[in-house]
Amino acid sequence: MTDSFILGLSSGSACLVTCGMVMFPYIMAGRGGVMKIVLDLSVFLATRLVIYFVLATLAWYFGQAFLTSGIVRTFVTGSLYVMFAIILIWYSIGRKKNMKCPAAIVTKVEDKRLVPVLLGVVNSIGFCPALLLILTKGAAQGSLAQSWLAFLAFFTGSSLWFLPLPFAGKLKKKQVIETIGIFATGLAGAIFIIKGLILITGGILNG
Amino acid sequence: MDNSSIAVSPKKTFGKALLYTLPMFLVTFMFITGGKPDFSDPARTVAILVTFFGMNLLYFLMHYSGKTDRYRAIIFVIFALTLSFTLIRNMILIRNSMSFSQADILECKIPFCHLVIPMMILPAALTKSIIFPGTILGGFADIASMVVLWLAATVVLGRGFCSWGCFYGGWDDGFSRLRKKPLVKKISDSWKWMPFAVLLLVALTAALTMIPTYCNWICPFKAVTEFEKVTNVESAVKAGVFISLFGGLVVALPVVTRKRTQCSFLCPMGAISTLSNRITPFTMKIDTNACTQCFKCVDSCPMFALTREGIKEGTVSMFCSKCGKCMDSCSRNAIHFGIRGVPAGTRKNFSRNLFLFVSFLFMAVFSSQPIVFTLNSLYNLIF
Repeated sequence: MTDSFILGLSSGSACLVTCGMVMFPYIMAGRGGVMKIVLDLSVFLATRLVIYFVLATLAWYFGQAFLTSGIVRTFVTGSLYVMFAIILIWYSIGRKKNMKCPAAIVTKVEDKRLVPVLLGVVNSIGFCPALLLILTKGAAQGSLAQSWLAFLAFFTGSSLWFLPLPFAGKLKKKQVIETIGIFATGLAGAIFIIKGLILITGGILNG
Repeated sequence: MDNSSIAVSPKKTFGKALLYTLPMFLVTFMFITGGKPDFSDPARTVAILVTFFGMNLLYFLMHYSGKTDRYRAIIFVIFALTLSFTLIRNMILIRNSMSFSQADILECKIPFCHLVIPMMILPAALTKSIIFPGTILGGFADIASMVVLWLAATVVLGRGFCSWGCFYGGWDDGFSRLRKKPLVKKISDSWKWMPFAVLLLVALTAALTMIPTYCNWICPFKAVTEFEKVTNVESAVKAGVFISLFGGLVVALPVVTRKRTQCSFLCPMGAISTLSNRITPFTMKIDTNACTQCFKCVDSCPMFALTREGIKEGTVSMFCSKCGKCMDSCSRNAIHFGIRGVPAGTRKNFSRNLFLFVSFLFMAVFSSQPIVFTLNSLYNLIF
């Protein structure tokens, strides 16, 4: 639970930096006042939650289908943790500044009422090493409920960053938040490398 | 009153330096002897006298020579070494080992250190419980006294705590002085934001798991204090992390960069202390009229607190730990200790004297017991 939350938190910070300025002008530009903003933000978050539950279910079923024995589950999960975590660290260190937000394309949709929903979809399934890590974790869980819980923690962690977004434009220290967010992503990667190594070593020692 | 903006030397005459040392002489005597001098044990008497005279000699030299960091670092490094010695010796006396077991955790026998504080805040606020398995009051390194000491130091010294009070800082400070010139000069100063990311993660994970995650998984100083007994893969990996981080951030990187890399790039306590620098009465100031922009101070700063742009503008960032290294490198005394609200370039000596008294006293009081203990143990070992 905790590592999923941390993973979400770290990927949310990267998302905020890359996509915050693209997504929120659309959500915030509604002319219906505060209620409209709250509604759009809720739709956006609810869409993400639904998508994550779907992904959690799919990941768990894939895990059940392919990670059949305990030893395979341990080795595959451990190796994937290490591999995706290295990609996550590389992604956080090597990311270009002023990276383009993959969700930018959605904002060109003519029916603006669909924008929050589409933003939620793109934001949830947009390629990101953190998503690969949480999918691996979801696949390795013993029960569907545990997989849902892992994704729920991931969703909660990543959503925390969206709450202060209405004020994001006024932030003077955007560069600092970006830097801290990138480091947090790298640290989350380090946590999963350690988890992966523990799984692999434990697997070797236990035969 | 020294309100000239032209360089004012912090050096003093022998008599004046002695006069400034006198109050420290009296106060440290009170603290080191506990107000009741007992010289019945020769080993302890020697240890007390060496500590007492050594400390006051260094304080005298700070005033006499005008150099701050040169003499601060001596006590600071000794403090770190002797505290580790004291902790390890206590562990061995009590448990015959540097490692602690699950039983020790359950019995709340783990010594507390200030690095746990960032992780205690959220759980304490949410659940009214202390998540660290130590004693609240009384006993060796209890939680209450450590929190009070840290709070007092932070309010007064700000991040100065990292150079005058932290008993771990001396390790990487010491290693950062081993080479005369750095092998690696170019380090992006954006790394100095890393402790904030560490703080964010450890504070939240501690709140979620009710476990001090930094101590459990990251703290490099576990390698020189106490650590969990290696009984399974997880504890072995933890030991590996502690040793790697100690070797990398506390030993290797400080040696090659001449920077305090553990303090600058990892310590979550450093992040809190950095923020506290905004409220403390003591600051570093730059007298732009005296500054020749040679930037020796920027190169010498071990904490990435100074930048060339900042020097030109006359500003020191909040990352400053008030170690005084920049002051020692400045022949014009353009960078100096200051008091909030007092303009840069004015009251230089007054501010320095006041800051030195407060910070040195804190370090002397805090460090004297481990130093006495170590000297006492060494005396007994040799004779």
